[in-house]
This record gives sequence, C-alpha cells and structure tokens, in this order.
Amino acid sequence: MKILLVEDNERVTQFVIKGLQEAGHTVDHAGNGRDGMFLAASEPYDVIIMDRMLPGDIDGLAIIEVLRKAGKRTPILILSALSEVDDRIRGLRSGGDDYLTKPFAFGELLARIDALHRRAEGINHETPLVVGDLHMDTLTRKVTRGDRPITLQPREFKLLEYLMRHAGQVVTRTMLLENVWDYHFDPQTNVVDVHISKLRQKIDAEFERPLLRTVRNAGYTVTASD
Amino acid sequence: MMRSSALSLALGYVALGLTALVLFAAPLWYAWQITIQDERAEILQADAQRLTDLYRRNGADALKSFIDARVGMQIVGERILLLTDASMHPLAGNLQEWPATVPAKAGDYYVRVQVSDHGNQNALVHVAMLGNYNLLVGRDNALFQPLQTRFWYGLTAAVAVLCIAGLLVGLITRRALMSRVNSIRQTVSAIIHGDLKHRLPTHLNDDELNTLSRTINGLLDQIELLVHGVRNVSNSIAHDLRTPLAELRSRLEELSLIRPSTEETYTEIDGAVTDVDRVIRIFDALLRLAEIDAGMRRSGFVPFDVSDLAANAVEFYEPAAELKNIDLKFRSNGPLWVSGDPVLLAQALSNLIDNALKYAPQSGTIEVAIQKLEGSAEISVADNGPGIDTLEKAKVVQRFYRGDASRGTPGVGLGLSLVQAVAKLHGSALELKDNDPGLKVVLTLAVDESSAAARETAPKPAADAAIAAPSTLASLP
Repeated sequence: MKILLVEDNERVTQFVIKGLQEAGHTVDHAGNGRDGMFLAASEPYDVIIMDRMLPGDIDGLAIIEVLRKAGKRTPILILSALSEVDDRIRGLRSGGDDYLTKPFAFGELLARIDALHRRAEGINHETPLVVGDLHMDTLTRKVTRGDRPITLQPREFKLLEYLMRHAGQVVTRTMLLENVWDYHFDPQTNVVDVHISKLRQKIDAEFERPLLRTVRNAGYTVTASD
Repeated sequence: MMRSSALSLALGYVALGLTALVLFAAPLWYAWQITIQDERAEILQADAQRLTDLYRRNGADALKSFIDARVGMQIVGERILLLTDASMHPLAGNLQEWPATVPAKAGDYYVRVQVSDHGNQNALVHVAMLGNYNLLVGRDNALFQPLQTRFWYGLTAAVAVLCIAGLLVGLITRRALMSRVNSIRQTVSAIIHGDLKHRLPTHLNDDELNTLSRTINGLLDQIELLVHGVRNVSNSIAHDLRTPLAELRSRLEELSLIRPSTEETYTEIDGAVTDVDRVIRIFDALLRLAEIDAGMRRSGFVPFDVSDLAANAVEFYEPAAELKNIDLKFRSNGPLWVSGDPVLLAQALSNLIDNALKYAPQSGTIEVAIQKLEGSAEISVADNGPGIDTLEKAKVVQRFYRGDASRGTPGVGLGLSLVQAVAKLHGSALELKDNDPGLKVVLTLAVDESSAAARETAPKPAADAAIAAPSTLASLP
C-alpha cells in the first residue's frame, strides 16, 4: 500500500513510518499543510493519514475539504489530539473516513488503515462468507463449520460477520465496539473479550484448527492461514 | 459625590413630581385667571351701567357729583373712575387724565394707570360713551394680589418640600443601600481573597437585594462545591496517576539498570505500555467528564427509544454476567421515547451495569428496568451486592472516590461521576437508593412527548426519522 502521512510531530512521524514500513507499506511524509496538500493532490495514494493540527496556515481539515471538493476519493484517516465527540463529528463531516485520537496504539492505526483500504476497494458483500471451513450465509443467517451447524445469537452473528468480512485483517476492540455495538466509548472492563471468548466457544472449541485468533497488543483476526 | 443609583432614582422622582406639579398648577392658574377676568369685567359693566343710568336720569352734573362723592368716599383707591368731556378733558374722578393707552371707544382694557393719591396701578378698565362724555370705570388688580401671591408661595413651598424630601429620601435610601451593598462587597472581597466559607447576609423578608443575595449564595455554594471538587480531583489525579506512573518509572529504570534478556525486556516493555494505557484511560475519562460538565454535548440531543438502548446495553453485558453466574434481568414495557444524548446515556448505563457487575456477588441478581412515569422515564439498575452506606452515598459520585468495598477492583473511580454528569446534563438527578440488600441507582429522564405522539399517529415514517437522528453519529465511522 502507498500511504501519505501528513504529521508535524517528529516522534510520531518516526514511529508511524517505521511501523508502516515494517508492515510492508510505502510511506511518503509531509511535515506541513502546504506540502501535504501538494502531495495529496498530485500523487496517487491508497490511504492518507492526516494530522489535524498542522503548522502554517493550512490545517488538516482544510486539506481534506479541498481534496474532497476536487473529487479525490482517497480514504483519509484523521489523527488528532482533540478527543471530544463534537471534534470527531466535525472531522468526519469534513470528509475524513475515520478518526483516531492521540495517543494511539500502533496496532489500532494499522488495523484501521487496513480496514479503510479494504473498504475503498469495495466492501465484501459476497455471501456466503467463507473462511476455511467456516461458512456464513448472511441471507438465511445460517452458519456452519465443516458440516456442523452453529447456532448464534443475533449479536454474535453480527460480531462474526464483521470479523469474517475483515478476514485476514486485524480488528481491534475499539473497532468492534464501534461497528458491532455502535458504542463510541471505552466500557472499562474487557466485555469485548468475553464476547469473543463466547463466540470462540461456539466456532472453535470442538475443532482442531482455531480460526478466531487473538493478536497480541492489537485485537483479533479471523483467518484460515497460519 | 459618588454616583448612586438610589440618589439618581430619588432625583428622578423629584423631577417627575415637579413636572406633575407644573402640569397641575398651569391649567389651574389659567382657569383662575379667566374666571377672575370675566367676573371683573361683569362687575365693571354693572358699575358703568349704574352710572350711565344715573346720567340718563339726572344728567351730567348729577353724575359728576356722584363720582366726586364716590371718589371722596374711598380710602384705598381700588376703584378708578373718570369722566371726561368729548375733548378728553377730565371733569370728575380720580385720574389726572385719560390714560394714553386707552382708546375712546367702548370696551374692556387691561392697562396701567396713574391714580391720584394712590400711585400707579395695574387695572382693568371699562369705557362707556355717554353722549358727549366719556366714562371710564376700573378696578385695581392689586385687590387680587394677595391671593395670587399666596398661590405662588404655595407653589414654591410645594416645590421646595418636594425637592428637599426627594433629596432626603434619596440620601437615606442611598445610605441604607450603601450599607447593605458594602456588607455584600466586604463578603465578596473576603471570598475573592480565598475564603469561600463566607455567605452574603440575608434577612427574612423577600426584597430585591435579599433575593439577589440568596441567588448569589446559591452561586457561591456551587462554586465552593466545584472548587472543592477541583481540589479533590487534583489530589485524586495526583494519587491515581502517580501509581501507574511510578510503576512505569520503576519498570523502565529497572530495565535500564539490570539490562535483562531480550525476551524479558519485551515483557517489561509490554507492561510499560499497559501502564501508559491506564494513564491515558484516566485522562480520557476526565476529558469526557469535562466535556459533559461544560454542557457542550447538549447539541447531541435527539429523541430516541431508551428501552431499546437499555436492552442493547443489557445484551452487551450478558456474557460478562454469565461469567460470574449473575442473573442479569431486563424489564421494560415496550418502546419509550425520550429526548437526550444516546451516546452519553449508553455510556452512563454501561457504567452502571459495569458497577453492578463488580459489586453483585457470585450468582447474584441485577435488574435493569425502564419504567414510564408521569411525563418521565425512569431508568434503574439494581443489584443485590453490599450496597452503599447512607453516609457514603454523597461521596461515591465524587470524582476518583472509591469506596472501601471497591479497593482491589479495576476501574478509575470516575464511573459514577460520569453518570452523575450525564444525569445533570439531562436535567435529571441521580438517585442512589437502598435495594435491601444492594444498591438501586435511578436516573429519570423527560419523556419526549412530541416524538412519542408523532410515532402513534404516523408509526412508520416518524419512527424512521427518530431512529435516523441518533444513528447519524453512530454510522459515521
């Protein structure tokens, strides 16, 4: 993936560039709004990571608005130290696709970039969803593993559906909270983990090969490969 | 003199009084003058008529002697009489000559005349023509002078009394007001200098200053509470942040000193990241609280079904309850529309259930209930845990307060404060009741009658609109 990072803080820049390169991505960097605007408008990127507050007279949201007006549809993730709900709404209204507040865990950033890229390439609407020998038919709402039917509660179904649509990708707890439960806050206790372990009981417990795996310091992934 | 509102007010009233007095006196004066003039003119006409009759009956000489007799009789000289021949030569009377300003023509004239032995007088004169003779009868206006003078004196006295009384009342009011304002000022400056215990003096009566003082006292109570809260918070932040920061510091320092094996180093670094996450979590909770306290989220108010929101929260915690073998029950009588911030209420409710899960015993019960009361919706979360002492109830909503029972359980001690802040934002109070045994937390919200009614009359579209509103936020990312 070719990624543009517009960020003025050197430490954050280093940390993100290093991490993204290690994950196999190509990263361009702009340290101010002017350069960011120029690069974003002239080069084709898969994803743009945009800091909201930038030195100089052009801030992140202004760049996004200009890009959107110019018809650029590149997925944009906004990075910001402003965490209030209203700030978040303003950020997304300006044309951003996702919003991540600083400080953030790198795993969270990576997972969100992947999800954005995947979404831009077109949501996986195919049915049935298949991961290894796990099948999910979103129309008949039937789930089977091998030839064994699995009964899921509606919310468990939604959780598994989200995981399977992002099969092979890391999905963080926050992403699950936001997309499966529509909760935009931190529920303090590890309730998501409990839901996951319950789901795991149903789809993995009696099978040799686990599909729903925990990714340390990041979240979960559903994958058939090793 | 200092500008004083009491004094200005009193002076304003004086000016108003004076204007009223003038408005009252002027028409009176005018009417009075007109009446007097008319009456006098009539008297003079009657006089002239009598003299004319005498002249007609007995001739000019009789009139002359009559006039002479009359002039000789009067002492004060208030009557003016003059008879002249056609060439204006005086024949009888008390005027030396025909006044230059009076024409030899029948009518009434207001003139100044020179009366023999009595000096100048302002007089109203009536002129009558008697064949070859001219007759002038008049009355001195000075007759009415004392009355006029008294009128003017009266008016002046009234003005003076009004001015002095106004000024006095103004000064007295100012003094009284200043003494009360001064006491308020002293109290306030004591407060400014940091002694928040002071309160403005209030009396039993309900005058304006008292009402104001009471309102200000209410404000001071709130400020004291907030300042106290801030002080507590800073102390608690210091304490609660210091713990993970201290752990983090010692972890890192130890790493740098011991330089353990790579594997062990990674474990320690992961531990350090967890410590930092704990600090960030506390900060996030505080920022959220500050955001709610500032009342900024009121913009997020939309009508939504609180019953649905609660059902989702219960469902979310269901597996966690199962882990502790807790019976998590949900009771509701169908959709209940309220106006509020669904994101914050979901968080508040989740905090309450989370708390209940922490304190309910193994195999305990938790009941989340939505009840419709008169014009309001009651959300309650009840557990059968240890409950909270009456004494402790006020404290648990304080920021960072953690009851003895909660020592050793995870959490940053901000959960109930957040619920309280959310309740406050929605204009409702957070009630902590005894569940015998356990705690029952009750939140009351105003029912959104308009959307409830709209839903009943036009079920489908209205419901869609009402659902669409809260989910805009949710569907954004």
